[in-house]
Order: sequence, then structure tokens, then C-alpha cells
Amino acid sequence: MGSSLPPREANLFKVIVKSYETKQYKKGLKAADSILKKFPEHGETLSMKGLTLNCMDRKSEAYDLVRRGLKNDLKSHVCWHVYGLLYRSDREYREAIKCYRNALKIDPDNIEILRDLSLLQVQMRDLIGFVETRQQLLALKPNHRMNWIGFAVAHHLNSNASKAIDILEAYEGTLEDDYPPESERYEHGEMLLYKISLLEECGLFDRALEEMHKKEAKIVDKLAFKEEMASIVLKLGRFEEAEKMYRFLLVMNPDNYRYFIGLQKCLRLYSDKGEYTSDEIERLDALYMSLRDQYSWSSAVKRIPLDFLEGDKFQEAVDNYVRPLLTKGVPSLFSDLSPLYDHIGKASILEQLFLHLEDSIRSTGSFPGSSKKEPPSTLMWTLFLLSQHYDRLGQYGLALAKIDEAIEHTPTVIDLYSIKGRILEHAGDLPAAAALADEARSMDLADRYLNSECVMRMLQADQVGLAEKTAVLFTKDGDQHNNLHDMQCMYELASGESYLRQGDLGHALKNFLAVEKHYSDMTEDQFDFHSYCLRKMTLRAYVSMLKFQNQLHSHEYFHKAAAGAIRCYMKLHDSPSKLTTEESDEMSKLPPSQRKKMRQKQKKAEARAKKEAEERNEEEAISSGMSKSGRRPNVRLVDLDPHGEKLLQVEDPLLEATKYLKLLQSNSANSLETHILSFEANMRKQKILLAFQAVKQLIKLNENDPDSHRCLIKFFHKISSFTSPVSDSEKLVWNVLEAERPQISQLNGKSLIEANKSFLEKHKDSLMHRAAAAEMLYVLEPEKKLEAIKLIEDSKNNIAVGNGALGPVSVWKLADCITVHRLLETVFDDQGAASRWKARCAEYFPCSTHFGGCRSSTLTCTLNNNLKNLPENGVAASQDDNLSDSHSLNGELHAFKDLKIS
Amino acid sequence: MGAGGRRVEMAAAISLDGVRDKNVMQLKKLNTALFPVRYNDKYYADALASGDFTKLAYFSDICVGSIACRREKKEGGAICVYIMTLGVLAPYRGLGIGTKLLSHVLDLSCKQNISEVYLHVQTNNDDAIAFYKKFGFEVIDTIQNYYTNISPPDCFVLSKSIAQDRAKK
Repeated sequence: MGSSLPPREANLFKVIVKSYETKQYKKGLKAADSILKKFPEHGETLSMKGLTLNCMDRKSEAYDLVRRGLKNDLKSHVCWHVYGLLYRSDREYREAIKCYRNALKIDPDNIEILRDLSLLQVQMRDLIGFVETRQQLLALKPNHRMNWIGFAVAHHLNSNASKAIDILEAYEGTLEDDYPPESERYEHGEMLLYKISLLEECGLFDRALEEMHKKEAKIVDKLAFKEEMASIVLKLGRFEEAEKMYRFLLVMNPDNYRYFIGLQKCLRLYSDKGEYTSDEIERLDALYMSLRDQYSWSSAVKRIPLDFLEGDKFQEAVDNYVRPLLTKGVPSLFSDLSPLYDHIGKASILEQLFLHLEDSIRSTGSFPGSSKKEPPSTLMWTLFLLSQHYDRLGQYGLALAKIDEAIEHTPTVIDLYSIKGRILEHAGDLPAAAALADEARSMDLADRYLNSECVMRMLQADQVGLAEKTAVLFTKDGDQHNNLHDMQCMYELASGESYLRQGDLGHALKNFLAVEKHYSDMTEDQFDFHSYCLRKMTLRAYVSMLKFQNQLHSHEYFHKAAAGAIRCYMKLHDSPSKLTTEESDEMSKLPPSQRKKMRQKQKKAEARAKKEAEERNEEEAISSGMSKSGRRPNVRLVDLDPHGEKLLQVEDPLLEATKYLKLLQSNSANSLETHILSFEANMRKQKILLAFQAVKQLIKLNENDPDSHRCLIKFFHKISSFTSPVSDSEKLVWNVLEAERPQISQLNGKSLIEANKSFLEKHKDSLMHRAAAAEMLYVLEPEKKLEAIKLIEDSKNNIAVGNGALGPVSVWKLADCITVHRLLETVFDDQGAASRWKARCAEYFPCSTHFGGCRSSTLTCTLNNNLKNLPENGVAASQDDNLSDSHSLNGELHAFKDLKIS
Repeated sequence: MGAGGRRVEMAAAISLDGVRDKNVMQLKKLNTALFPVRYNDKYYADALASGDFTKLAYFSDICVGSIACRREKKEGGAICVYIMTLGVLAPYRGLGIGTKLLSHVLDLSCKQNISEVYLHVQTNNDDAIAFYKKFGFEVIDTIQNYYTNISPPDCFVLSKSIAQDRAKK
């Protein structure tokens, strides 16, 4: 380095490098400048100066200098390395890899560059390259432990676990017998456990077991050792031995479900789907009875039998299970029981039981058949449980009656208000749900969960401003790391969805893209672990983290955010200038004088925001440190586009949509929504074959889904309207479709009209299917509009039978009915039919604000926490303001009349 | 099983906690449920300012009762405590919660050199009067037309002198 310089300057060059490594950037800059005074075109110095400036937040200068330096000294590995580091600091990993490769062409054995390259390769999952680089590193420095481990992990990631085992064994061969020293015992033990897990992964259970016996003394994590041992012995089919091990693990922790599953497997009493013969159930029952005697304090041992027991035995068990929890007051009891509602017949047993308990406590103060007096709270918790039961079954009226009674009984229990809010949300009264959640929040202002729940309800009720004000209560002023963006992405997602519902595409996009940003940050976050985990030897955790990262974008929240963004872009494509016209509409409504005022106000606000942003950016620049590797922590610049207006000015919204669509297609390929969006986007882009692919995927995933049917019919209807192909590529498309159409069974030998008819016939009892068929009928034969509307209106809301509730539960879901209502309003554009539908659904859903049901509220709530504006004890209705005068203030009133003093 | 037995059994589940601005809504909820009047901001400010003289009572983690007091300076500098409200939700009465709340205030008064604890009670509220008498309160005055919206509008002033207690000890 710096070789072409005379000694004095060569020394100065070393100072630059040193200063960079120790973050003394000013010193480095000075040294660089004094070299450049004499040798203004010295390449490596120019590069290093650029790199230093990059750390001082002078990006554009940095790139200029680094590029100039490289131009002056193309043969310098330093210049290429620096260029790579610069790209790496901007997360341009692909470019960085290219630079490193060029540097290595010049200096193939440069360990530092090889190591940097390997980190980028694993980050980008260039696994073949990663294996090669790791091999080179090991060949260069075989006495480094990290190089052996890195090489093994590289092979494992590259799906060659047995090679990884060989490498680890070879590595062990290089160690002395008395290895490890006291200070390295944990790291060595982790390496051994990693190797054992590799053996297990390869199916080499005998060898794994042998290894475990041989190395037991050297493995520090005893619990992991025992769990692994039990799992391997079980896989070897040595059931009795494994049983003993699982029983031993249960002694250590009788609430670990995995141990119970292991034990059941040893006894060959385990089924993934929870399906057992009556004989098996009997044996399981006996097993858990004996375990219950042994571990009376374990809750798992009491809960698990509820999953497999049936009928009377189930009833008895669940009775014994819930009683003590109702006495104790466990607010989460219902969510503990709620999976049982998916088991046939259990819902009605639960209902009968709960009602029986309620009745007994009400009349005798004790549980049935018991003489022990229950505490007063038991009735309230029983009512609480019952109300959630009815909510789950969709009997919202009963659910509300029970929760109201519970609130009347004990108006200070916060959970009651939260649940009432949730019931109202399900019943379709979103503003009232938000008001209830806010009431719950007001009862414990220090509880962040209640705050988040309230924010969520407010967003669902499209009260975005209020929601933001509420969420902000838990952020700290000036604390960059705790602002709204850093809070969970659930907030941004719900906020984006609310903006999308309200048609504010700018804000919506901004929120959806912020969620996407969280995910790319998570991807980014793994970077530091590539070197850290190899050093710390936490290899099992490292590999599982990498596997998790591979799946990251299939996570539900990412899916929702990407879908939201795609919808925004499609809307933007459909009506590009919508936002601007709306704004000017609003302006033009105002008289000129006010218009002027408003503009001035806007300008002032903008100027203020800009100033604040600049100030904060400066602060940030000062406070942000630089990490040693030269990667700066992600500095967040203050938003210069707070309303997402710039996001709306994209050239080609569909191109943006395609970016997210690709992520969905590769990560959420099993979701219908992915392909519906793909269909919609590609039809807009006139990409016939891609749209057809989406249709095929939909049919493959679920041919009976109403949306699959819609897409299929719409697609073939649309292409039938195209003029016959002219160009070669059009002909090609035509030929493909010609060849494929007969393979779609729905259309086999049928016209589209017939296909639609048979779809309707097949699903004539389902509202959503009828609606889809009606819509397609209208698309295919617009003159049959009235017939289509009649199809929808003739749908019957049957009473659900079967898994059951004792009361009547209708089949139709609120969300579906709202969808149908919108369909009548927009697609069919028949206001008469829409209002008939609305009136009908208002009967089914009396709480629904959408349908204006008789029990719905249009209650608006303000952030003003004034007591008189708040609903009293869960009654969402405005109260008279009857503040007492100062005299009656000293109240010692009839509350004491009933106070029995024993 | 008598009420006495029940009381012993459940006493362990009762605990007291202070009122802060983060949980003052609990006190408001109790008052809404317990009393037919709405208290103004001064009531809550006084309650918060009284420190440990205002308490919420919890029955196995559920807030079920409260005592709210105001500290007053008498002429001559002596400090007395005025009980603004004391109440327990109906289902939770008879468990000794009221006793626990009142005893707490009396004990604290003793420790803090309070000369007197007093309160107002509607003249027809016999249970309450009997309750306070059990703790050594005495009727020292009757105020006509004290209440405006409820009947009877008159109240007794009940008082207990704390200094006497200390002298006895």
C-alpha cells in the first residue's frame, strides 16, 4: 500500500489507514491532504480520502474521489477494495462483490478482502461463491478456528451437510487431547452440538448417538444435550429408552409441550392431526391421569387432555379445568380454550357447561355440586367467558348482553372493556369499538398494550389522526429510536389500510412502503451476525436464523403491506390525477380570501417542516457514530415528503406494483390474493400470458373460490373481445391460449355462459359464490342485469347447523354482506337494489354501522379525555352533564346502605 | 358457612394501592358505580394530593373499593383528614374491605400526627353511621339542607379525635 510514494508520504498514508480504522477521520483527512499537495493524482490516497469523507457524511464527494482514485490506479487492490467498501456502506452488495473480485484479481491472497467478500456472499446467498471463498481462506490460514468453522457452515448452507461433518471432524483432528481450555468450553460444546445436529440432519442417528456418548463431558449445554439425545433415541426407534429420557425431561419442566409430544410418540400415541381411535383415547387418558398425579402444578398436563377427549369425558375434564381458573380470575382463559371450537361438537358442550356454571353461581354462590362459596369475582369471570363464547359463535347480541352484565357487576376490570370493544368490532360497529378501547386505555395510562389495542381500533374505524395522537403518547420527544416509525409495523400496516380505504393513496403508500422498509432492515440486520456467530460459535442458532431470513418475506405482515402497495399503485394507474384534482376541488370551494389564507398556511407549515427536518438531520449526523467496519449505522433522514405526495408522482405505477408482486409471487405463492393481484395488474398491463398464468395458479389453488371463478371468466371474456392477432408475438400468445384452454376442466366443451351457470349450480347455497356468478352473468350478458341482481337478492341466510351453538347463528358473514353491498352499488350501479340489501342486512347485523343497524352507534369520540365526554362504564352513549355542586360533593351516600358489616 | 368464615378465607386476597394520575380512572369508575353524584376535578386533585390517605382496594387484582380523603389545615395549624368518599362495589361487600380501608386511614393518621378524622353522612344512612361508630366516630353536628339533589337533604358530621387515641396508648 502506498508503495509508489517516497518514505515520508508512505508513512502519512499509513496514518490515513490507521485513522480510518480508529475513526479519527479529521486526522486522516489532514494526512491525505498533505500527500495530495505533492502528489495530487495519487490514486490510493484519493480513494482513502473518499472513504474517509464517506464516513463524514459527504457522500457525493466520496464517490467522486474514490472513482478518480481508481481511474488513476486501476492496478491497485486498495482502490478496488475501497470502492467495494463504499458500495457496501450503501448496501449495494452486488456492486461491492464485483469490486472485491477485481481487487482479488490483483492480490488473490489478501485475507482481509477475502473475508469481506465471504460476508457479502453469504448475505446475498451466493452459496457456491461462499464455499469457494471460505475454502481459500482455510487454505491460507488453516490454524484459525474460524476458518474451519466457516468452511463447514458454508457447505452446510450449500446443502452439503455430510461434507460439513467431514470438515468439522478434520478440524477436531487438529486439536490437542486436552482441548478445550476452560475459557473455550462453551464454544467447543456448541460446535459439538452443531455437528450432532448435522449428523441428525443426515439421518446418521447411530453416529450421532455414538458422538454424544463420546463427547458428553465436553458439552456444556446439558439441557440441549438431553433434548437432542431423547430426539435421536426416539428416531432410532428405541422407544423404551426414549420414554425414560422424556420422563426425565418432564421432571425438569412439566409444562413443556414438546416433551409431552415426545413421550406420546414413544408410546406410539401421537397423531399430527389429533385423530385418535377410542382405544387410543382411553390409553392417553390413563397416561395423563397418572402424569397429573405426578405433576399437579403443571397446567400443560391438565390442558392437553382437552384436545383429545370427547363427549362426556371431555365435558368432565373441561369442567374441572375451568373451575379453578374462574375462581382465580384468569383473563386469558378463553383464548386458551378457543382452539377447542374447531373440534366438532365441543362448542355446544362448552356452552352448556358455561351456562350451567353461571346459573349455579348466581343461585347458590357456588359451583354445581360444591358447597364451597366462590368469591364474588367468579360470576364476573364466568360472564366474561360466556360473552367471548357467544362472540366466537357470532351471536353478538348475547355476547354484548353478557359483557354488559359483567361490567355492571365490576366496572373496574379493564379486560371487560377491551373485549366489549372487540365484540363491537366483530359486530360491525367500529367507532363504538374504538371508543370502548379508548375507555379501556384510559383506565391504565401506563399500559402500552391497551394503548396499542386502542390505536388499532381507531385505525380500523378510520380515525387516523386520533390514532396517531394516541400512539404518540408512548413515544419520547426527541428520541429518534422510539418514534412512530420504530414502533411495530402493525401500526403502519393498519394505518396504511385505513388511508387506502379513505382513498388517500399518498399516505397509504407511505405506510405500506414503511412496512416494506422494516423487512428490508431485518434482512440487513443479519449482516453483523455472519462474523459474530462464527466467532461466538453459536452455530445452531446462526443457521436457524439464516433459514428464518430466507422465509422473511413470506410473513403475513409483509404480504399485507405488499398487497396494499400493489392496490395503491393499481388505483393510481386507473386514475392518475385523482389526488391533485381533489385538492383543487377543495380549494376552489373556498372563497378567494380564505383560499389565500390556506395557501399561506400551507406554505408556512411546509417551511417549518423543512427547517425542522434540516435541524434534525444535522443533529443526527452529529450523534451517529460510525461502526468500525466502515458501515455507518442506518441514518434516517427526516422525512421531506410527509404526505407521500412524491410517491404518487411515479412514472409508471404498474412497474412499481410489479416489484412487490414479484416478492409476493416468490414468497407467498400459496396465497390466492397473490395471484388475484397478479391477474389484476397483468390485465392492466395487457400481459396476457402472465395474467393467464395467474388464472391457472388460482384454479390450481382453489377452483371453487369465487375470485378464482371471476378471474377465469373475466380473462376469457376479455380475450374473446380482442381482434384477431396480427403480429407474430400476438399469434404466439394466441396459440398458447388455444392449446391451454381445453385443459381447463371448467371450460371443457362449454361456453363461458355455461361455465358460469354450472358454477352457480354447484355453489347455489353460498352467498359469495352466487354474487360472483351474478357479477359474471352481468359481464357476459349485460342485458341480463336484472336477472343477475335477482340472483343475489334471492340468496338465503340460512341458520348454521352442526358444530354447535344452541342459539340461532346465521351463516352470512358481515364482511361478505358488505362486499355484496358494494358490488350492488358500484358494479351493478343499482341504488335501489343496494338500499334493499342494506335494509335487509341491517336486520341481520343490528350493530353494523355500515348498514345503519338499529343498535349501531355513530358515536364520535374525541381525544379530549374529559370525563363527561367519555362513555360511562361501557355504555357507548352520551351522558347528561350533571356535575354536582360543591355541596353534594362531599358524598357519603347510599352506597353504604347495603354495606353489610359482619 | 357464616360470613365470618368467608371473611377470614378471603382476607388474604385483599390489598391496597395508591392513586396516581395513570390509574385515577379506576377511582372515577368506582365513584360512577357507587355514588349518585359526579365529582369534579377538585375532588380528584385533592385525592391525589392527599398521598397515602387515598387508596384503592384490590380483591385478587380487581379494583373493588376506595377511600378518598382530603387533608385540611385547621385554625391553629393542626391538620385533620376529611373522608370525601368510602365505598366498595356491591358484590364485594361483607369481606372486610371497607374496614381495611378505614383502618388504613386511621392508622396513618395516628402515625402522621393528625388531630381529627371527620366526614359527612346522610342522616338516613343507618348502616354507614353504625359502621363508623364501631370505629369510635361520634356525631358532632347536623347540617340542614347539605345535599341539593337527594332526600333527605340533611347530614350528620361524624368525627373521631385521634389525639385521644394516642393518649390512651
